[in-house]
Amino acid sequence: MTTSPLLVPPPPAAPPLIHLTGVTKTLKGQDQPRTILAGVDLTVHPGDSVAILGRSGSGKSTLLSLIGLFDRPDGGQYLLGDRDITRIPERKAAALRSAEFGFVFQRFFLLKHLTAAQNVAMALVNGQGWLPRRKRKAKVLAALERVGIAHLAKHKPPRLSGGEQQRVAIARALVREPRILLADEPTGALDTETGNLVVEVLRQATDVGCGLVLVTHDHDHAAKMGRVLHLSDGLLRPAGQRVVA
Amino acid sequence: MIRLSGRLRASLIIGGQGIRARKLRTFLSMVSLFLGVLAVVVVQAGAEIANRAMLADIELYQGKDGTRQMYLSPEGQTVPVALEVLRGRTDAVAMTSTRAIIGEPGVKPINEGGGPIDQPGGYGPSMMCDANGCYPIDDGTSGAPPGQAVELQLVGLTGDIRQFRPFRPSQGRWLDFGGQPSLSPGLVLNEEAAKAFTRYHVPAEMSVDGATANPTPRIVGVIDDGGYQPTAYVRSDELMNWLPTTSLGDTRSGPGLQVLMTPSAVEVEHVLRARLVAAGTPADQVRVTTVETLKQRSTELALMRWIFLGMAALVLLIGVAGILNVGLATVGERIEEFALRRAVGTPRLLLAGIVLAETLLTGLLTAALAIGAGVVGLQLALTVFGSRFPSLEGTAFPWQAGVAGVIAGLVAGILGGLVPALRAARIPIATVMRA
Repeated sequence: MTTSPLLVPPPPAAPPLIHLTGVTKTLKGQDQPRTILAGVDLTVHPGDSVAILGRSGSGKSTLLSLIGLFDRPDGGQYLLGDRDITRIPERKAAALRSAEFGFVFQRFFLLKHLTAAQNVAMALVNGQGWLPRRKRKAKVLAALERVGIAHLAKHKPPRLSGGEQQRVAIARALVREPRILLADEPTGALDTETGNLVVEVLRQATDVGCGLVLVTHDHDHAAKMGRVLHLSDGLLRPAGQRVVA
Repeated sequence: MIRLSGRLRASLIIGGQGIRARKLRTFLSMVSLFLGVLAVVVVQAGAEIANRAMLADIELYQGKDGTRQMYLSPEGQTVPVALEVLRGRTDAVAMTSTRAIIGEPGVKPINEGGGPIDQPGGYGPSMMCDANGCYPIDDGTSGAPPGQAVELQLVGLTGDIRQFRPFRPSQGRWLDFGGQPSLSPGLVLNEEAAKAFTRYHVPAEMSVDGATANPTPRIVGVIDDGGYQPTAYVRSDELMNWLPTTSLGDTRSGPGLQVLMTPSAVEVEHVLRARLVAAGTPADQVRVTTVETLKQRSTELALMRWIFLGMAALVLLIGVAGILNVGLATVGERIEEFALRRAVGTPRLLLAGIVLAETLLTGLLTAALAIGAGVVGLQLALTVFGSRFPSLEGTAFPWQAGVAGVIAGLVAGILGGLVPALRAARIPIATVMRA
């Protein structure tokens, strides 16, 4: 059996950021259990940008939630660097979510009563270590600067446009300088132009060695990523590769 | 430690943000909690104040807690010896008690028997009881016509008794124990005795049981001693100018003797005991007791307090139900926020801590308001009713009530916030993915 170069690119010097092997997930609802992921393999190296396409309900968000340690796989193996975190307990998972991952969602999930800066600071005031106010403020402003909206730091979300709100959400994801950025349809609620801008901001994060996994329905946005994968029937394949029965 | 401190700070910061974001809800929670905490504060303050007032009244006639007291009958050399040993001492005071009539000589006093002034006929003639029964004492007024005279209990003091019985000054001054004794005994009346002298024009002549002559007294002040019987206090040495030593040992008309001592007056107690026994007083009659009012009353005080605290707890429970209701509704509204916080790495424990911090801060704010209301309420009550209740004079807001209020606020915060906190901690992170 040969492995697609899109799934596992030629090994560079640095070890992969994440390495999923044969990951399975079955959802147990009131009806019959439904297998969402039937053996997913995925490797992401520093600086990689991976787009995952798939129909609604194909398991893209489930896969992202497993990668982001929101949930645990039923089977397979999940390595973060060289550390097996397949069955990591919640307390350690929370610490890893804080230290290693940044999340961007379709809805921005900004707290309306907080300013843009306070929303970004939310990722720093999370009980995982403590930064003095001055350092916290500097980091927040740097993150907002990185997404080009430092001048809006004191604005509250209702006064920001959709694109600005999503950039605040991206700043929140970047403020802890994560090694992996997970984005779940981040342009779903935005117009095309703003969506392009947001995808560009996300992609730029890979320039500094951050891995990016982008779940999207938009093929144009997917095309801007280094690799494009398609999730169907619980398996991840290079986009365009047909399923052989 | 740094980690814990970081989590504590994070929960306080986020909790504070939550309170500021939901001011109206916080206010409504505080309103529902306020009455409960106020009830606890008022009950605790009321119990403390009532306790102090009751003790203050008891102290007036029984003495402060810890005071050691000795009762002696006026036999043989008991009284002269005691007066000699205790003269000039500050840690022990001897009180002799005898009967005196101030006013017209040879008449029946207004309050025969030394009873309260407002009690018609007084107590009737003074009685003496022994193994053969009780019979009236012939005080020379039997069959006498009614006149302008007041019968009272005359208490001779070797020193300032107010360290043991904190009399409340009403008018004039207290006895001055410095200097030479005057032949005109200075008297400090209690309020009941003062009542008689206000109502009746009484000549300044004092007849004392066993005295060689009737001296002319000087009334120097009035105090509240908590007693209902007309009483006058006088320096022992001024009284002794008129009482021959022989009369002091008369068990029928001689003065009764009580000695009050501080707990540390061990030496004087030993000396007095030894001198009394040497003078012929049987050793088993020299008994010392300690005033233990607080201990004796503790059971009934505690029972009363628990009953009122139980009632306050019920009111507090209603407040807790209110804060719990608001807390649950708030957590329901903030599901996405909590899921998001978990997604960015906030541990479950900290999420619970955030919700608890909010309810605890609300509880503490409410406690502060309730304590403030209690302090203001007490000041108002003292301004309006203080003059009617002398025992409330100088009453300050008891710190125990403040502590009880803070504890009630914290307990209400914990009880009202615990369930919402647990719910917040259980919110699945995947909520943000499915939104």
